[in-house]
Amino acid sequence: MKKIGDKCVLSDLKVGQKAKVLRLNETNKAIRRHLLDMGITRGTVVAVKKVAPMGDPIDIELRDYELCVCKADLDKIEVEVMG
Amino acid sequence: MKIGLVGNQNSGKTTLFNLLTGMNAKIGNWPGVTIEKKVGNLKNTDIEITDLPGIYSLSPYSMEEEISRKFIFEEKPDVIINIVDSTALERSLYLTTQLLELDTKVIVALNMADELEKKGIKIDESKLEKELGAKVLKISALKATGIDELVNEIKNAKTFAETKIYDAKLENAIENIKNKLTPNVHHKRFIAVKLLENDERFKELNMADIKTIAKNLSQNYETDLEETIATERYLFIEKAKKNSFKQSIKRESLSDKLDKVFLNKWLAFPIFVAIMFLVYYLSVGVIGSFTVDWVAGIMDLFGEKVSTFLSNVGTSEMINSLVVQGIIAGVGAVLGFVPQLIILFICISVLETTGYMSRIALLLDKLFRKIGLSGKSLIPFIVGSGCSVPGIMGTRIIENQDEREMTSILTPFIPCSAKLPIISLFAGYFFPENSGLISASLYFFAIIVIIVSAIIMKKFIYKNTSSTYIAELPEYKVPSIKYVAKDVFDKVVAFIKRAGSVILICSIAIWFLVSFSFNMEYNVNIEDSMLASIGNKISWIFEPMLGTKSWGATVSAIQGLVAKEQVVSSMAVINGLADDIEAGEEIFSSNGVFGFFTAASAYAFMVFNLFSAPCFGAIGAMKRELGGTKKMLKAVAFQTIFAWLLATLVYQIGSRIEQGIFSAADLIVVGAILLVVIVILIKKDKNKECAGCPYCADCNKK
Repeated sequence: MKKIGDKCVLSDLKVGQKAKVLRLNETNKAIRRHLLDMGITRGTVVAVKKVAPMGDPIDIELRDYELCVCKADLDKIEVEVMG
Repeated sequence: MKIGLVGNQNSGKTTLFNLLTGMNAKIGNWPGVTIEKKVGNLKNTDIEITDLPGIYSLSPYSMEEEISRKFIFEEKPDVIINIVDSTALERSLYLTTQLLELDTKVIVALNMADELEKKGIKIDESKLEKELGAKVLKISALKATGIDELVNEIKNAKTFAETKIYDAKLENAIENIKNKLTPNVHHKRFIAVKLLENDERFKELNMADIKTIAKNLSQNYETDLEETIATERYLFIEKAKKNSFKQSIKRESLSDKLDKVFLNKWLAFPIFVAIMFLVYYLSVGVIGSFTVDWVAGIMDLFGEKVSTFLSNVGTSEMINSLVVQGIIAGVGAVLGFVPQLIILFICISVLETTGYMSRIALLLDKLFRKIGLSGKSLIPFIVGSGCSVPGIMGTRIIENQDEREMTSILTPFIPCSAKLPIISLFAGYFFPENSGLISASLYFFAIIVIIVSAIIMKKFIYKNTSSTYIAELPEYKVPSIKYVAKDVFDKVVAFIKRAGSVILICSIAIWFLVSFSFNMEYNVNIEDSMLASIGNKISWIFEPMLGTKSWGATVSAIQGLVAKEQVVSSMAVINGLADDIEAGEEIFSSNGVFGFFTAASAYAFMVFNLFSAPCFGAIGAMKRELGGTKKMLKAVAFQTIFAWLLATLVYQIGSRIEQGIFSAADLIVVGAILLVVIVILIKKDKNKECAGCPYCADCNKK
């Protein structure tokens, strides 16, 4: 499991872990814009809350609400683990 | 006066719209798309309110956002009501910052005010008003509080000064660009920001000097301007929130507790299956089919009464037949679906408003996305095993237009209950020892057909949708009966209007072709009717799957368009029997019209009828969901051609097995080859996901 201070991608985190968004590597313009619009910007703190029964998509908590994102998109979000 | 109602999904927009307009709203579609458009008048006024699609932003990337932008720029509303879920203020205000960049007056309605106390949230609307630079009101659409103040505000909406939310450099650039835009352009600030984001839709305004301003500006930031601006918006929102919003300690919400059960690794699927079984049981199972029989009974009675009345007033038998067997039968067919649809829509509305529908999408997303469908696609399929019509109507629950269209076209491939008589006739007679196995095989066939068709459609027709899942997970809520009732009513009326017209016209057309010969003689034997002549002329189409030309099989297949149960009764009538005979020995009598059938051609004909164009009811429903006649015809063509190819393949292979040319072993080998091909096709799409991602070394996907 990734420890505090580790840099990884959002899909590496386990339920209950918190991280700060560092970078968005998504190249598809529409998807990237959608992630930004939903609040995943640099410096945002996100927490992994729930996982779908088959492991994908993953439910993250940010900005007072919950967003489910598929692993493929979470793979492209660089974060730094905070807890 | 014109008003636009704008807000996120799940913000209570529809509830507010219903509250403000009562029953007078007109529902249609936005031109060219299958997204619902609702327009109504504010009660007791002639202020027109348009409910815009739920959006999170005004970017140029999705249909919903484009519709909203178009509305604002072309229909020029006087006021925009921005409805905000006050329990998710931060995310909601993102859209608000964009609306405030327009010239239009904006009223920010903080909805769900009734829930704030429960969650320990305090919002000072006057402070928020100062921060945002727009009128802010608290309302609860559910409890109907704050509505009078809202209506008052609408009638007396004020203009506020421009709110500058970005850093100095950005604001400077915006002013510079504004000055370069021609004087008669509206919403200059909005356009200026979009030009900095390199927005495709404003390309014509993006002249060289504006591009230079953007280029110079972007050198000040680490990321491109699109990301910078989004980040700046949220920084502004965080600041505004700090000054006006307080939340005391958050306890574990009820939703989290419920999700521990509903999303539990072991419990999630069994619970899902149980709920699906309930939906099936209610809508197309015992209760649903009871309502179909009940309506059919009423329509028969009504038909008899009308028939008697018409003959009493002296109308000819022909007109009598037209009215009773053409028109009333057609209308009866439409109305026959209504009770089932009501039950189904109630189930769907409850699933949606409670929030469980989002969990269903989560459960199945991983599987379904592989073939380009949504996790929610399973529900239309399950319902479709009873009847395709409510199944296709149920595809409304899928947000993505391409996934929704694909699901609508694929749902009729599941054998519905009307196709069961066909299966029991052919399987029962030609495969007496294995009829159960054969019947089951057709369902597996259907699943494979769906998967293969989905892959084909994704590759050749719907190639542009990117496969992704990004969606808000709403909290569980208790559904409002008023909301569900209105939702169901609106959907049923829409069905009757759109699908009903197709069903009615086509039923009359078939009645006409069956009742008349080309000499315009009325009440002829079926072999002399126009339909039979047409059947004769095109019977060569069916030759590759039957081994011979048969006008009887052709006519029966065409009559299946009215209702799939009619295939069997049509065959009975053509063979000179009463129309309710279903015994194989009588229908396939060796010296009768259908004596030529062998096991191979029987299975092939079954396959054709199961997968070809569905009944007019389903075709009408497809027209409603696909948004137009053109797409509907393309879908019907796809289904029929696919069915024809499949049936021909089945017969050509099957007849050769019968003649001893192929063996069962050959079949297994070919089946294995096909399976490998399918797997390769699915795998190939997976590689697209890896493109552009630099994390191969740490990837957990390999």
